[in-house]
Formats: sequence, structure tokens, C-alpha cells
Amino acid sequence: MSRMTFQSMILRLQTFWAERGCMIETPVDLEVGAGTMHPATFLRVLGPEPWNVAYVQPSRRPADGRYGDNPFRLGKHYQFQVILKPSPLEVQELYLDSLRALGLDLTKHDIRFEEDNWESPTLGAWGVGWQILLDGMEITQFTYFQQAGGIDLTPISAEITYGLERLTMFLARQNSVYDIDWTTGVRYGNVRTQDEYEFSKYYFEVADVDLHWKLFDAYEGEARRCLEAKLVLPAYDWTLKCSHIFNTLDARGAVSVTERVGVIKRVRELAVACAHQFLAAREELGFPLLQKTDV
Amino acid sequence: MSDYFFELLTEEIPAWMLDSALSALRASLAKVVAQTGAAESSVTIDVNATSRRIAFFLGNLPEKQADHADTVKGPPKKAAYDASGNPTQALHGFLRKNNATLDDVADGGDYVLLNRNVAGRATADILQELIPQTIESIRWPKMMRWSTGESSYIRPIHSVVSLLSQDGIGTYLPIALFGVASGTTTVGHRTLAPKRFEVKSYGEYLRDLELARVIVDPQRRKQAMAAAALACAKEVDGAPSDDPSIWSQWQYLTEYPGVVRAEFRREYLALPEEVLVTVMRVHQKQLPIRDAHGRLTNSFLAVLDNEGDPEKNAAYGNSFVTNARFADAQFFYATDRRRKLEERVEQLSHLQFQEKLGDYRAKTERIVAIAKGICETIGLDAADALTAAGLCKTDLVTEMVKEFTDLQGRIGGIYAREEGLADNVWQAIYDHYMPVSLEDELPRTITGAIVSLADRIDTLAGFFAIGAKPSGSKDPFALRRAAQGVVQILLNRDKREVKIGIDRLIDLGIAAQQRATTPALKADLLAFFAERVRTILEASAWKFAYDEVAAAMEAGWASSLTDLVDRVQAVKTMRDEPGFLSILDSAKRIANITAGHDATRVDPSRLEHDTERRLAELADVVTGQIDELVTERQYRSALESFAAMAPELETFFKDVMVMVDDESVRRNRMSLLRKVGGAVMKIADVTKIVVDRRDYRP
Repeated sequence: MSRMTFQSMILRLQTFWAERGCMIETPVDLEVGAGTMHPATFLRVLGPEPWNVAYVQPSRRPADGRYGDNPFRLGKHYQFQVILKPSPLEVQELYLDSLRALGLDLTKHDIRFEEDNWESPTLGAWGVGWQILLDGMEITQFTYFQQAGGIDLTPISAEITYGLERLTMFLARQNSVYDIDWTTGVRYGNVRTQDEYEFSKYYFEVADVDLHWKLFDAYEGEARRCLEAKLVLPAYDWTLKCSHIFNTLDARGAVSVTERVGVIKRVRELAVACAHQFLAAREELGFPLLQKTDV
Repeated sequence: MSDYFFELLTEEIPAWMLDSALSALRASLAKVVAQTGAAESSVTIDVNATSRRIAFFLGNLPEKQADHADTVKGPPKKAAYDASGNPTQALHGFLRKNNATLDDVADGGDYVLLNRNVAGRATADILQELIPQTIESIRWPKMMRWSTGESSYIRPIHSVVSLLSQDGIGTYLPIALFGVASGTTTVGHRTLAPKRFEVKSYGEYLRDLELARVIVDPQRRKQAMAAAALACAKEVDGAPSDDPSIWSQWQYLTEYPGVVRAEFRREYLALPEEVLVTVMRVHQKQLPIRDAHGRLTNSFLAVLDNEGDPEKNAAYGNSFVTNARFADAQFFYATDRRRKLEERVEQLSHLQFQEKLGDYRAKTERIVAIAKGICETIGLDAADALTAAGLCKTDLVTEMVKEFTDLQGRIGGIYAREEGLADNVWQAIYDHYMPVSLEDELPRTITGAIVSLADRIDTLAGFFAIGAKPSGSKDPFALRRAAQGVVQILLNRDKREVKIGIDRLIDLGIAAQQRATTPALKADLLAFFAERVRTILEASAWKFAYDEVAAAMEAGWASSLTDLVDRVQAVKTMRDEPGFLSILDSAKRIANITAGHDATRVDPSRLEHDTERRLAELADVVTGQIDELVTERQYRSALESFAAMAPELETFFKDVMVMVDDESVRRNRMSLLRKVGGAVMKIADVTKIVVDRRDYRP
């Protein structure tokens, strides 16, 4: 087997999940910290409609940036996100099959599911699940969503989040994320080092704090206006922007402990309002995807 | 005879929950067994679990309960018989309902009674009813819903096996858990032998499952891992670190027990051992390997849910993550030491302790103030304690603690040592979170003990002051543990003894809060501490009984815990002595007769009787003696002195009437008795001791 590349990993995972009935989505075209924030996860796990989707999501975490110096940590990494709703009973077996599809002979590796629950105060969401360890290394986060936007979920969705860089790095036996092959002849470092450096510099040193506070206020206001106009999807876009602005201010060291709680609460209130409004909107439409499954 | 076998297959259950869940299950199964009418001693109850299954076996159950007589209460006689004594419709209806005839009716006073033989229920029926309840009602610390979201349990349920065999012949006993009907098949190891197979009996299950790479008995997995760990460590002439908490996790992390040895880069051995061990143990659940001299090596052990690691994948993976973690730690260690701890004090004002209790800088100032108060109280030079108290929280703003929180305290101590601070100072910083449990050691110096006390009493006084005291099982700020630590430290009487009472400590804690408080605050804290003191003394190696502790605490406890222990000890020893009954009887008699009276001043001129004069003189001598012995903490001798008064007291009660009409005489006699009784009350309220008089027969 030739050395695993970053893009062959993505292609194989996409093919695998597409063959198992997932719709292949594209990333949300906004800055988000995780694939969970994509409307295809956060909003679609609400309500009774079935939903099976997979997509890559570039995930920005300004505080995790290391100027391109650290071989393991990145300010932006790529997640491969799968949502299965309702969670099928054989979901763990499906997941193991996806690793087999990546060429792993699981009888020769150690796979363990160790308790790791997930909670997002900004999304009013939490779930129960595991970190999945391959030979002692965390490669996937697995969560049964219990609540999103403060709403108890029924049915329950299973969320599988692969850390693409870690997985590639591990399978290709490389010691730095920058050394992995994006594709043959192009390394991850060739593509990403410059923006890791520039964005680290920007988020930690340059970002205009006053402007960002103003943006936060403005985006929050616009989200509220959209909610009043019953335009939940635009409202959710602005909520995501608020969340990213908050992360930027946080990385910049501009959020004090006392402010922090308040700001998180402001984002959560938007997310909760979006969740409720989205659910109401789907209900008004008669939950269209419920009918579709009968065909 | 019947045997029952049950298996529940789920998804991976958090390892830390399984030990207590299995104990609870074992206890509930004993109750189920009792329902079948089996004698507990003749039944085998075998409860096992892996990371994703729970299996149990009940051996030697009866096939059914014994038939037994039963009485049923019927209608009142007035309604059951008419005026001429003939059975009414009501009686006939009652008999029909109970499938009985007039011959079964017995006399039950005003009511009709029915005697009848009840056929014992079949064990199969009982199990079908109780097993699903038993399993469904296991109280897991955190539950979840799945799929359609109708049920809530620790993890989704996949399959259930339920088999009842009678005289060796197995039958399927259908039950259902959360709507999942039981069957007769199970699966082997997830990756090594995932095929479904038929289960015919417990014996075959154990054998077939092991062939399918699952060892269901946690003890056996632990033994296998321990043996493998020893062998792996031997490869590098080392031995696995002794660490029970790792073993208890490992045994429930797998279905098939494997251990692999991996290595990290040697250069990381230059990091403090505490850092290496914390990263491996707490963050990676790995077990360090030590050499013959007990020093860490660059090898460690990791758990594996596989029989081996033929391609060294697990060794590679574990090395990879551990090296990455140590690379971070090395970076933090270097960065952190570029700034001294004292330069970090200012930064503590940006770290919140609690919303209403301010930041860690404010907390530090309070700890310093309290430490100063403690030193003044016990007459100790405060310099080292104040330095340590002022720096003890500064490691909270180091990168190392941000990443590896378990290192708090210890890493501050290490940084202080690296800065060249005195042993007495860095050790106090290092130790100030100790003791973290009843089993944990105390800070190694009195300075460390003082900082630990100051930190804890500040936390307790602060949270109580803002109305955040624990209630029931809710104790989110671990205040019980904080108080427990205070008690542990104050009970100590070696060179680290801090001679201060809880009463004084609470005063210092409250004063440091610098906020308006009510008297109820101190009363609440005292009551909270009293509860901890009781619990700890009763659970201690002294094996004090509840009434011994209660009796001694009644005579005071908040000014010195070591003094309290001496008094409990005296009561404990004395209660086994033949003379104890006379102490107890005297004290009880005095307490009864003088209830509501509180004077102890005796007017000698009003003593009328010879007997009472003798008692008064004796009381003068003996109370003086007791006071002296109490000052010297010779409580046993003091109790013996008191016992010596018993005969005279006896005579007094025989000869002298206390409750006379003349109020002044009556009051004088009561005061005399109070004086006598008061002497023993300085040691313990012995009337609280519960005795069985037969134990004192000569």
C-alpha cells in the first residue's frame, strides 16, 4: 500500500459513508470551531426527521494556533463529520468498518472506546460518548447527542468526528502534521504552514480588539433582527459569526473571566433561539423528510 | 435444582462505573434469590463484566418456592352472616374470589378469616418478573438515550441472554429489557472474533467466550494483565509502578486483557518525575516502569484490548502520544520557569475562584491572613508559612497546571524549589492540597499543615458565608472533603501538630472573609465540622463507638481535637471496667434530679445533714482532683476519681431528701449534686453511653 495521503483519507471516508446512505455535504462557508456547528449538524439533529450526512469541515480554533511551530497543534484543522439520525444500533460496527475501509487490519491494532462526554455551553448542547483510541491515540470523537439548543432530542443522533490530520499522520507513521502528504508530491506543510503562521500572528497579536467587540455587538444585533423576521437560517449564520468573533477575542486575551461567562451566554441565547425557531419552521413545513422515508 | 444465566451486551460502559455497579447488582441479586426461597448460603451468585457486557450466574436455585399457609382477611362478621347466622352474599362472593369454601373459614374476631395453602411460585416466574427490574434499575451515574430515544440507560442495549436450566437441561427463559427481547446468542470480541454464537449453559458460555477472545471475569483479566505487565517490565529489568487505581480501570477497559510496553524519548526523563507520572497515569492511563532502584525508566506499560501487538502498532501509538504530551510538558516547564512565582501573584487577580468570593489573589490574601492568625495562636514564627501561603496558588496560572490540572500544588512546590526557596517553604507549597482523602498522607511539615488548614478554612467559611453549603448528596465544591482534611490535620500529634481548635480556626476563617456575617454562620460551620469529626472518629483505627464519641463531644470538642480523642479513649477504656456502672448510674441520677437546674455554688452553712456535709467535703476534694487530672489530660484517672465518690453518693440519695419544700435547702442540695455531676461533664456526658447491664455482672 502506498503511503496514506490526506486526500485519499477524505475520499475513502466519503465513499464509505456515501455507500452507507449518507448525503455528502460540503463544509459550511463560515468560520466555525467544529463540524458540530454546521447547520447540517446543529439544526438537523433537532426534531423527528431522519438525517444521514457526512462532510469535511475546516475547523478554526484561534487559541490552538502555534505559528506553524508545533507538530501536533493547529489553529485550523479538518474534521470529517458524520451524522446518523436516528443512531442505528450497529453504529459502532459501521465505524469500525470505516477504519477497515482505510486499510486497517483491526485484528493487529488496539481499538478502544473510552468514556468522553461532550458539552458545548455556547450551543446549549451536550452528549454522551467516547473518544475512540487507535493504539492508544485518540482518532475520533463519538457522541450520542442528548440535547441541542437546550432542546431534548428525539430521536437521538450519533455524531462521529474523525481528526483527519491525526489519523493520516498516524497511519503514515509521521511525526509532524506538516510532513503528511496532502497528495503525492504536495505536503500538508506546503499548503498550510503560511496560514498557520499568519493566522496565529493575527489572532494572538494583531486582531483589532475594539473592532471585534463592535463586530460582536453588530452581529448579535443582526442575528436578533433575523430571528424577529423569522429568518432562522440567516440568524444562525450571524450566530456562528458571533461565536468566531468570541473565539478570536478569547485568543487575543481580550475576554476577562467575568466577561467570558456573559459573552458565552449571549451566544447561547442566540443558538437556543435558532434551535427553537428552526424546529418550529420544520414543523410548519410538516417535517418534509419524514414523508420522504416512506417511499 | 435450577441454575440461571444472564448476559447483557451493551456498548462500552465507562470503566470507573463498573466496580460499584457490580456490587450493587450483586446485592440486588441476593434479594432476588431470597424471593425464590433459597437459603443464601446454598446459592452461588457469580457476577462478572467486561467493558461492554454484564453477565451473572445464579446456581442452585429451588425450582419453586415452598407451598405455604396464608390467611386472608374477609368481610366483617356482621356483613358475612345474616341475623340467623347464615352466610350472606358478601361472604359467598369473598369465598368465590379466593377460590375457597365455607370449610376454609376461620374465626378472626370481628372479621372473617380465610386459611388457605398457597402454592409456591415457580422460580422461572419470579426471575421473569424480577430480573428485568433488577437490571433496569441499576443506578448509573450518567445515563443516555439512543436511537428512537425511548429508553434511558448507561449505554444502548444490544442483546440479552436469559437461560434457566433445570437439572442440567437448559431452557430459554424469555424476558425483555427496555423492549429488547432476550435470546440465546451472544458475540465474541469486537475485532478478534465478532461472530454470534449460541449459549447453552454458563459453563459453555465461559469456554466459548474465551475462544471468542473474551474473558468475562474481571479478576482473571486483572491477573492476566498483572502477569503480562511483570513480563514486559522484566524485558528492561524493571518493575511496574504500584498503582491500584490504574489496575481498577484497566480491568474494565477491555474484554481481552493485553499489556504492551512502549518507550518515550530519554531526554524527557529530565522533566520532574511528578510531571511524567501524572501525564502517564492520569492522562494516558499508562503505568510507568521503574528500575531496581525505584527510578523511572523511559519505558511504560499501556493497556490493550487485544492478545498481543504483533506489528508493534500499539507500542508505536502509545509512544507517539506520550512523546507528544511530554513535548508539550517540556515546553511548559521551560516557559514557566522564565517567570518567578512571586511575579505571578498579580496574575492571580485575573483568575476567578468563585463569582461571589472573588479571584485567587483575594483568596491568597485571605490564606495569608488566616495562616498568620494560626501562627499567632500557636506561637510559631510565621515567616515561612506566610511566604508559602502567599505563593501557594501561583502555579494555577502556569502553563503546566493549565494543561495538567492534577499537578496543582506539586508543580508550584517544584518551581519554588528550582527558584531556591527554603525547603520549609517549597515543601509547604507542594503539600498544601494534602490530605486529599482519608488514606492520604498529611503535609510533611507543620508549615505545610498550616497553609493547608488556612486554604481549607477560607474555602469553607467563604462558601458557607455565601450560602453555598452542601445539602444531601450535593457537594459540588467538595466542602466535606475540605473539612475532612482539616480534621485529619488537627488530629495529628507528632512534630507537625497544629495546636489550634476548630472554634478558633473558624473565627479566623470568618474574619478573613471581611464581609457582614450572622452568628448562624459560625453555628453552621461548627455543626458541619461536628459531623465530620464524628464520622472520622467512628471510622478511625481507634474504632470508637458512636455513643463514646457523642458522650465526649458533649463535653466540648471545638477547642482541641486531640483532647477530644483522649477523652473518647478514656470513656472507651472505662466502659469495659466493672466500676463503670457506678459512674453511669451516679451521673444519670444526678442528671435526672437536677434537670433544669444550673447552679453549682454550694452554701456550706445550709448543709443540714451529716451525709450531705460529707459529700460536700468529698466533692471539694474530688472535684479539685479531677480538675487537676483534667488539666493534665489524665482522663481515665479522672473518671476513676469520680467513680470513687459513688458509695458516698449512694448514701446521700438514701439518707437525704433533695426535693424538700424549703426552696433554699432544695436549691443548695441540687447545687451540690450539680457540682459532683459537673466534675465528670468536663470529660464526657457519660449518660449518653448505652450499656447492657448483663455485661457488668460479676
